[in-house]
This record gives sequence, structure tokens and C-alpha cells, in this order.
Amino acid sequence: MIPDHQEEQRLLIAEYVLGLHRGEQAVEIERWLAEDEQAARQAAYWREHWVGAAELLEPARLPLGLWRRVARETGIAVPWWRGLWQSAPAWRFASAALLVALVLAVGPLRQPAPVYTVVLQAPGEAAQPGWRITVADNGDLQLTPLTQQADYHADRSVQFWTLENNAEGPRSLGLVEPGRTLVIPAEQVGGVESGQLFELTLEPPGGSPKDRPTGPVLFVGRAVAL
Amino acid sequence: MDESNHELEQATVWLLACARGDAKAFQRLYRMEAPRMLALARRLCGDPGLAEEALQDTFVQAWRNAARFRPEKGSARAWLYALLRYRLINQHRRTRRYDAEALPGDDWPDPGPTPEQCSMQADRRRAMRECLRGLQGDRRRPILMAFYHGFTYEQIAETLAVPLGTIKSRVRTGLKGLQECLRL
Repeated sequence: MIPDHQEEQRLLIAEYVLGLHRGEQAVEIERWLAEDEQAARQAAYWREHWVGAAELLEPARLPLGLWRRVARETGIAVPWWRGLWQSAPAWRFASAALLVALVLAVGPLRQPAPVYTVVLQAPGEAAQPGWRITVADNGDLQLTPLTQQADYHADRSVQFWTLENNAEGPRSLGLVEPGRTLVIPAEQVGGVESGQLFELTLEPPGGSPKDRPTGPVLFVGRAVAL
Repeated sequence: MDESNHELEQATVWLLACARGDAKAFQRLYRMEAPRMLALARRLCGDPGLAEEALQDTFVQAWRNAARFRPEKGSARAWLYALLRYRLINQHRRTRRYDAEALPGDDWPDPGPTPEQCSMQADRRRAMRECLRGLQGDRRRPILMAFYHGFTYEQIAETLAVPLGTIKSRVRTGLKGLQECLRL
């Protein structure tokens, strides 16, 4: 029941915004707030102030795939290749020309054409590419060694990471065996965009004990659209 | 203008853009707001899976209802938090028992006998933090348990092993103190 006394009303609003009223009582307060502009304003003030308390919390690390689920459910998820295709007519022409050239040169394609490439280099060693990444138009990623790389410590693991955005942080794409080609399916890779960062780090055996790189960066590079 | 205020304004701009169907703005809003919202959701429901589900639903709802957002009534951040809290508090009964998890503000000392006047020149969010600091610990704690854990009066009383009437009295006294400090 909504009290008549103004001070009691204000207290009721404060309790409601804090979540202390549930069920029918909450419904009655909501109905009142929908009809009483002053009471609604009071509730809005409280909500605004409580943001200050929420800001005391350390931001959590967002789980992989949560954004993709949101995007899918809202209907805004567009396959990255379709977005690229639709948003840049020049790309359409260039890609089509590239495909025609490839078909003429090598005959019918057996493998999907790469649409992104990354050259991974040792940090600060631009002239020493160590690995090449190609991302096919079906989204599969291939990591290929460019040099002999037997120089790693035997008791450490090499882990492959990507950084899609700073909010989500680096995401592991698995462990890499030095000198061996690795193919990662599209569903594990997720969408790739121009400028997306990829890196290999040296980690404890079995990989990083945390959800992020802990060891030195061996090779790093950014995706370039073909 | 500090960074936090800039973010607050930016979030409002992006939410308004969402109402016009701007998916890029929606993604930016998600990147900026979702990490702390997830932290709050985890505290509110005590279940990481439910917290993620609630966050997902909140952003889906935000996208679909962005046109209902009225910036003159408050910030986008307050609007998003209200959606999230409403969903978690009304649709999920917290199942995990309170496990003495530390609350922000637990380590604040109790104020002296003459509480300092809260500066209202500060913005609302900073004012709330200052005003919470000004509360006696036995009033502040049950209020924070309601805010961060989504507890009812009964759950707070049970957890703190304090009679329900005493808890109600402490919370109401604390809220009155906040009201005065915030000049609401």
C-alpha cells in the first residue's frame, strides 16, 4: 500500500530502487511510479546515484562468444565476409578479379581462397617473419611456419592468441607445435577483421595458467585483407 | 570532465544511436558497459551462467527498446543497470547462500560522531560513494547487501543473524541518511 505521508513515500521509493520490494508489492509501486511523475523522478534520481556504487566493482572479463550471442539474437550479426562484401564495392570488384585470375591460373579451386593474411614477426624484427596466417573465405585459419624454429625451450609451450577487441582481451586459439602447420576451424576462430592482432607467446608446459598470455611474445602481427 | 563522466556521456550518445539502428554504436556500448555489468550480475545472482544469460538478455532488450530511453530522465548507464537489476531481482531468486563475500565499502571506516557534510558539487555518482562512506557500518552493510547481492530484508536478516525488525530499521535509517546527504 502506498503511504500518504511524503517522507514515507520517499523512503518506499528508495527501498524499491534498492530491490527490497518484490512481487505484488513491487507491482503496486511500479504502477504508482507510472502514474506519479514526481515519484518517478525520485526513483530515477536514486538509480542515477546507485551507478556510483556499481562503479566500485572491478569490471569482469567478458566470456568468449557472449557478444556473438547478443548480436545473433538482436539480428545484427552479419557474417564478416558478407559485411566486407556489401560495405565496399571496390572490394567486390577486386575480389572477383582476384578469383577470376586464380581460376585462370590454377584451374578449378579446391581450397577456399584466403581473404586475410597475417605475417607474424619477432617483436622489433620486421625483417624476420616467422609464421604466416591465412584466413579462408569459409573462416578457417591456417598457421604456417616460414622458418625452421627449433630454438624454443623443450619444457615450454607455444600458445597462439588473438585480440579482437580490448574489452574482451586476448583469446587463446590453442597450442602450437613449432615448425608444424596448424589449421583452426572457423567456429573456433570467430570473425576476423582487418587489423586484428595475432601473436604467439612462450608459456609454461600445457599453456598459460591464466586466461591471458603470461610469457614473452615470440611473434606478433596484424590481419591484412587481401 | 573526468574520464568516467566522458564515458557516461558517450554511453548515452551510443544508446541514442542504437535507437536509430546503429549496430556499431551498440557494439561500442556493449564493450564499454558490459564488463562492469557482468561483475554486478555475478554478485546479484551468484551464478556465472545466469549472470551471463541476464547480461545477454539485458543487451538484447536494450537494443530492442533503445527508442524508449529518455536521456532527460537519466544516463544510459543508469538505464542499463536498472534493466539488469530488474531482470535479476525479479526473475531469478538467488539460490546461493551468502558466503561472506567482501563487498565494496567493507573496508571503509565508520565515520566519526560528527559526519562530514557531503559535497554536492561532486557529481551524483561520486556523491553516492561519499554518502555511503558517511554511513555507520551497521547501516551501510545491509544496504550494500541489497544493492550488490539483491537480498531482501529477510535474507539480510538471516545472513547477518539480526532480527528482521532491526534490519528494517537500520536500512531505513541508512536510506534516510543517504537521502539527506544526497539531498533527494
